[in-house]
Amino acid sequence: MHALSKQIDQLSAILIGADPSDLQNLADAHAKFEALGEAAKSIPGVDASTISALGGITGGACKSLEQLILNEADNAGAALKAVLNTIADVQALLESGGLCDAEIADDTIESTFGPESTTGDTDPTGAAQLPPTDFVPRAAAEATTAAAAVRAFAADEVPLLQEFITEATGHLETAEQEMLTLEDDPSNKSSLDSLFRAFHTIKGVAGFLDLKQMQALAHITENLLDKGRKGEISLTGTPCELVLSAIDTMKSLVNSVQTSVTDNSPLASMTGVEALVKTLQDFVEGKVVDAPRPAGILAKSQTTASFHDAVAPAAGEILASDQARASEARNAGDGTVKVATDRLDNLIDMVGELVIANSMVAQDLGGNSQKDVRLSRHLGHLTKIVRELQDLSMSLRMVQVGTVFRKMTRLVRDIGRKMNKEVELVIEGGDTELDRNVVEALNDPLVHMVRNSIDHGIELPEEREAQGKPRVGTITLRAYHKGGTINIEILDDGKGLNKDRILKKAVQNGLISKEESRTITDAEVHRLIFAAGLSTAETVTDISGRGVGMDVVKQNIEKLRGRVDIASETGKGSVFTIRLPLTLAVIDGLVVKVGPQKYILPILSIEQSVRPTEEMISTVQGRGEIVTLRGSILPLIRLHRLFNLEPKTTDPTQSLVVIVQDNDRRACILVDELLGQEQVVIKSLGKEMGVLSGISGGAVLGDGNVSLILDVPGLIGLA
Amino acid sequence: MSTAVTTNRGGKYLTFALGREGYGIAILKVREIIGYMDITAVPRTPRHVKGVINLRGQVISVMDLRTKFGMDEAQRTEETCVIVVETNNAGRKLSIGLIVDKVSEVLNIAEDAIEDAPSFGTGLDTQFILGMGKIGQSVKILLDIDKVLGAEDFVRDH
Repeated sequence: MHALSKQIDQLSAILIGADPSDLQNLADAHAKFEALGEAAKSIPGVDASTISALGGITGGACKSLEQLILNEADNAGAALKAVLNTIADVQALLESGGLCDAEIADDTIESTFGPESTTGDTDPTGAAQLPPTDFVPRAAAEATTAAAAVRAFAADEVPLLQEFITEATGHLETAEQEMLTLEDDPSNKSSLDSLFRAFHTIKGVAGFLDLKQMQALAHITENLLDKGRKGEISLTGTPCELVLSAIDTMKSLVNSVQTSVTDNSPLASMTGVEALVKTLQDFVEGKVVDAPRPAGILAKSQTTASFHDAVAPAAGEILASDQARASEARNAGDGTVKVATDRLDNLIDMVGELVIANSMVAQDLGGNSQKDVRLSRHLGHLTKIVRELQDLSMSLRMVQVGTVFRKMTRLVRDIGRKMNKEVELVIEGGDTELDRNVVEALNDPLVHMVRNSIDHGIELPEEREAQGKPRVGTITLRAYHKGGTINIEILDDGKGLNKDRILKKAVQNGLISKEESRTITDAEVHRLIFAAGLSTAETVTDISGRGVGMDVVKQNIEKLRGRVDIASETGKGSVFTIRLPLTLAVIDGLVVKVGPQKYILPILSIEQSVRPTEEMISTVQGRGEIVTLRGSILPLIRLHRLFNLEPKTTDPTQSLVVIVQDNDRRACILVDELLGQEQVVIKSLGKEMGVLSGISGGAVLGDGNVSLILDVPGLIGLA
Repeated sequence: MSTAVTTNRGGKYLTFALGREGYGIAILKVREIIGYMDITAVPRTPRHVKGVINLRGQVISVMDLRTKFGMDEAQRTEETCVIVVETNNAGRKLSIGLIVDKVSEVLNIAEDAIEDAPSFGTGLDTQFILGMGKIGQSVKILLDIDKVLGAEDFVRDH
């Protein structure tokens, strides 16, 4: 059968591009169809009915082609299209392995090459006459879009395309990893095979979806890799650079397909692809080509990076990127199932409700447990199961942090080359699990920090040798659990933070005064690099030094309710430690009561709570109230006034104030009472509620009721 | 608004009462009916938005249909219900609870028993009304729930 499919492939290749007036092509096709009919007979294990059906189809096609060649067909275009459609029929017939009964095939022949239709009376749409089998749209699509330079997607193609995008992104990432492995170890057969497979799969699907540029590029890259498999070339140096640029270009192509699908716009052809295909082609043919310089690659990888920047709003908010989906796609290979995230979230919601319902039943039983031992034993059993179910459901969202770490391998390699530095990346604890959303959101901060470590931290090889360090600098990415948080460290063995230069720059940019710079502690100096507008790189490069970056990193990490710490020793290196909560779905909150309503204050933003005395309260211009607490003056926010509630008392000395902070701003929030600390599951209030000032979301409390989570930065802003 | 609506309005309707008036919502829009429960008020929202509830893990907003239609708020009784409807707001599916006095029954109302809403002059806005269903001697006001909920944003910002 394999020989046959090869012939069919060749046939379709001839026919897709064929012009009805191109006799040479038509004659070729004619010969191929004849050969196909003959070849089928010689294959063992094919039953007679299949052979005769195939003979019928190929015979019909031959007849049409003859008419075309002799210029007897009235509507040459339609007739050619009909011939093209028969290829799909032949394929289907072969795929069904003889299960396709002769009758259906006869129908096909009848409708495609019926006595009248062959002479040119064919419906211009051609395919419409074919029996409604699933392969028809494909053949039709191929035929109609073959000539289109710009590709518009039909609505029914979108799911296919989406799946392709996910898969292709996954394959490209695998390919990148494998290429880098190969570069270090050219004899690694399994890496080469997996690299080859990645391109092969993309080529197949791209061809099916009529993504021409992608198909062409994948095809030629596959040829190059095939040479590597045959041992004709070693995939180091030029070929390696070529494959990497092919991967980059493929990524951009995938992105352009994604954009086109999202915006529902036609896919424009990308410039530069043909040139790359040409270079690859020349290389495969043994001509001498210039290896794309690392700079070129870097520029490309930066376009990919800026693509992400463009997706993420300027504030640095990180959106769900394709990459996470890609990692899922990769996981799908080894005994895992791809599940839509909303289903997963629904399941987790349901389990949360189950836990609440279970505890309600347990409470109701409470006093009666003595009387009904059986019931309480069964309830205990149930509780145990529910708790296990809850743990399990929480673990469903967890993915390994290694997926983001591994993405840095390429970055380190490219930047290292660009900067003429020799850098090795060591990954530790890549199997540490984190909430999917957190892992996704970690990508951009990590990119910034790794870039910075190479640019500012690692010295040039000569400098390193002069200092008695190994030539090759090491950057370590390490993840581990520590006391309910996940710690991620970025270590480098470079020169460490230059305290003097940071201080100089900070004074220059007006971040601190000269006087302050004399008394400042090391920790405070380190914290300065997170201030906006500070860059200590002496020359601004396209890698780092523009003074944007570290402040965005800090913002992003804080959005994940995490924090960044720095430790650094001059001449030895620096360690950036990111501390993150295990999940974004749950927060520790303090439940407070104002009038009849319960609100939740995130524990992280609470400093302390006090019952103020008379002297502490004063007003400014008779209106704005302030609380003086150990010398600092804080605005008083009356929640009952803001939210229009009837409080137990309006006298602050009879109730409590909670001192909250957001970065450097602090304020007092007046509440009736504190009800205690609780871990709550964060829920969105729904888009219809829009943005509510002072409220950041909802949460389901242990009793099943909804409570609102107070937005501390927003409240301070309102004060 | 009294011009003929050409789409077929006949079908099954869930009918309910607000005071002495009978209303109906197309049954396909109704997700479920739940008893009245404690509602968490959300500050700075319009008066007819009562707040949010926890519907088996999903937080949904609840509005009082009486207040929405400018009637006085009613005392909550045993019969007070929340009808959870699923609407299509600019292509987005949305679940919203509607507080009604009492849920009556599901009625099959034929197309020829549905008339367009009469014009009440300027005093009354009939754009939420799909039609008037005649059941025997009584009349049910059939609501176009997408319009009721899509008419204005939930948030009133100060």
